[in-house]
Amino acid sequence: MLTVIVYGLAIGAIYAATALVYNVMYSTSKVLSVTTGHIPMLGGVFGAYFIAGLGLPILVGLAGAIAVGVLFNLLTEIVAVRRVLARSDEHLWLLSTLAVATMISQVMALWWGTEPKPFPRLIPQEFAQGIGDQKYWLPVLAAAVCAGSLELFYRRTMYGKLFIATSEDAFAARARGINTDRVRALSYMLSGALGGLAGFAAGQLTFAFFALGFALTLNGFIAIAVGGLGSNLGAVIGGLALGMMSSFATYLFGGEYQQTVAIGILILVLVIKPEGLFGSKQVRPV
Amino acid sequence: MTDRSHILRPVALLAGVAFLVLLPFLVRDQYQLHLAQLIGVYWILIAGLNLVVGYSGQLSVGHVGLLAVGAYAFAILTGRYDVSPVLALGASGALGGLCGLVLGLPSLRLPGFYFAMVTLAFAVIINEQSVAQTELTGGGVGLPAQGFSAPFASPQGFYWLVLGISALVTWLTWNVAHKMWGRAIIAVRDSEVAARSVGISVYRAKLIVFVFSGVTAGIAGALFASLQTYITPDTFVFELGLFFFTCIIIGGRGSILGPFIGTVVLTALPEVVAPLAKLGNFFYGLLLLIVVLLIPEGFGRLLTQAMTRLKPQAAESKVVAPDPARLKAALGTRAGNG
Amino acid sequence: MLKVDAVSKHFGGLIALSEVSLDLRPGEIHGLIGPNGSGKTTLLNMISGYYPVDAGTIRLDDHVLNDDRVPERALRGIARTFQKPRLLGPLSVLDNAMLGGWRDAQAGFLATAFLLPSVWRDERELRVRARELLIGVGLAHALDRSANLLEHAEQRFLEIARGLMLRPRFLLLDEPAGGLTPTEIEHLGTVITTLRDAGIGILLVEHHTDFVFRICNRVTALDLGRLVRHGTPEEVRNDPEVIRVYLGG
Repeated sequence: MLTVIVYGLAIGAIYAATALVYNVMYSTSKVLSVTTGHIPMLGGVFGAYFIAGLGLPILVGLAGAIAVGVLFNLLTEIVAVRRVLARSDEHLWLLSTLAVATMISQVMALWWGTEPKPFPRLIPQEFAQGIGDQKYWLPVLAAAVCAGSLELFYRRTMYGKLFIATSEDAFAARARGINTDRVRALSYMLSGALGGLAGFAAGQLTFAFFALGFALTLNGFIAIAVGGLGSNLGAVIGGLALGMMSSFATYLFGGEYQQTVAIGILILVLVIKPEGLFGSKQVRPV
Repeated sequence: MTDRSHILRPVALLAGVAFLVLLPFLVRDQYQLHLAQLIGVYWILIAGLNLVVGYSGQLSVGHVGLLAVGAYAFAILTGRYDVSPVLALGASGALGGLCGLVLGLPSLRLPGFYFAMVTLAFAVIINEQSVAQTELTGGGVGLPAQGFSAPFASPQGFYWLVLGISALVTWLTWNVAHKMWGRAIIAVRDSEVAARSVGISVYRAKLIVFVFSGVTAGIAGALFASLQTYITPDTFVFELGLFFFTCIIIGGRGSILGPFIGTVVLTALPEVVAPLAKLGNFFYGLLLLIVVLLIPEGFGRLLTQAMTRLKPQAAESKVVAPDPARLKAALGTRAGNG
Repeated sequence: MLKVDAVSKHFGGLIALSEVSLDLRPGEIHGLIGPNGSGKTTLLNMISGYYPVDAGTIRLDDHVLNDDRVPERALRGIARTFQKPRLLGPLSVLDNAMLGGWRDAQAGFLATAFLLPSVWRDERELRVRARELLIGVGLAHALDRSANLLEHAEQRFLEIARGLMLRPRFLLLDEPAGGLTPTEIEHLGTVITTLRDAGIGILLVEHHTDFVFRICNRVTALDLGRLVRHGTPEEVRNDPEVIRVYLGG
């Protein structure tokens, strides 16, 4: 029973981290990227590749995974978001990020393989530690680091304030001389780092698996929908709630109902309170 | 709509129809005929989906779920309950429409990304449940699906069945696209503000079109099952839904012919160009990205633009010159009724 | 009559409109002027249904419009144009205008799909009506042109034609003279007065005050969400408060 809770927290932490990544990217670009879930996926895959495959030290592997996250998301920004935002068509970015997500997914499937591969042990610990196993608390730690560092970033640093200004009113921010293109690129890099870190930390739980990309895109989105887009608190709570409910659903009904339950929650929230627990209704002027 | 009539058009149309009807005699082997049948089946779904994605602008990436519903319904009805294939075909269409309604009701009010994710989620649920409900669906092992009885039993016969239904669905969607409903859903896509300002109920329009696409997806699913003779959950993966969606975007939104050509090309290409088959979805993703970045209107639009360039253009006036008398007359039939 | 009764609107802490009243009668052109931020576009948006009313009522004859959504108001005969024209780029001018005939289209989705006779009737009737209206407003030369190839003035006149397809009792024009040359503004005036003479009630929100004073029957002037002056063009133009708001500040 305790395992169910701990598992739920751990998987919820990954969802929460993905949701945070969504938020950061959305705040400066108003884009919800289909590639979001692929960042942690890459963090996990490359973490395994660097450490287990290439035999590099763990910290190098960690840095590498973060770097891959940063690079991938920056690339996404340049290729799929920047040019597309310049055009007037509202949903073109959905198509372009969908395209990039498909491509990276397939590349990983071809290069890394379609089977989930084990992720190396990061901290000396016997296998099968039960609820104390690092595969459970590493993701939780990573999510806490992501959430905490974002809070500090937004409140205490200049760049954080720039991000907030850009997200509240990009037009006004530009008028004040803020280079919104650069802010956006930086926010994508930051969120790429966070996603890579989260994926790396979660590797032992999720395994290094190419299919994690779309799965996290969907589940991270459910976390956002539940918690409310734009709210980091909502992202964390939504993610943890989703993780717990999935875990209990698996425990009660079996693993074959995991996604069904998660999506059921999504539909319920979208029907009852589409802006999520902590989201705000948006007035759309003509 | 107000398109110019080319001399080219009726001739091309006739030639095309003749080719399609005679195709079973023109292909070299069973494999090519099978490919043609597959294209036809896909097109039945894509033609309906085209109204949703290409015309009303609702980015549904999860229609593979509706295909699966139709396929499993057909396999179960004909297999377990001995329903005749033709009846099962109709039932699959109806069930597809019903699922379209259930999916569309909560989701069509949501903004674009949310809607896309919900359709993705729907496909995931259908997939998960087709594995989980082993009693009904045979679980991971899957189900066999029956063929049709004469005259559709032979490959040629089945091909003509698929051709006939494709032609009907194409005709239906063509009609919708070129009359007031077409204008209305294009308005829903390009300017909801304009749509509402002329009295269109945007949600209702989206829903009706979506349900229609559910019916065509259900029918396509039934035919797909019969064609493949055996279905498993693995057949109906998310990537297939992405494929349908990509055919439309690449072919061009706001066109019937564009997505049709897109379907033919994207289905046939991996079969013809072997290295592409290995790349699989990477290829579709790359094409999608290229189209979005360089030719967002799709190849279909390029075609129509090229055709208009072939015609001699008269010098175009740009001066607005009202005709008050004519305007008054045009307003005349009002008598103060609002 | 379209009656706006002590209507107020605020966005968060910002008061956009404060107890503004006006009425729009058939067969008149009612100008609505005011500096930027005076609330004139907000008021137009509230009449057409884009913003909910925070206080007050908007009435169409005996019917209170407050809870009616945008399409419902359109179907009751309130048409409008937009400050930034909302057209369907890939479609022709004629198709764009015909869109306005949705209200009168009888054929449902299935009837359309199966090309039942009602579909042909709709197409024929709406096409003829759209053509006549388009020619009437001055777009005879551009009927088959794609809307995304239109000049600014052509776009504005097209929106008017589309609005007229609703057979509206009232037409709300949101700064239709914006970006037009003097000649084009004259043509606009011709069109608007023709509409007025045919019995349509027109609300003209405009920055070009000369134009407003020239063709309007009555004028309402707003400033910072309040009603400043209401009356004939002469009365409003000569009102000291109006002069102060426009020229003094």
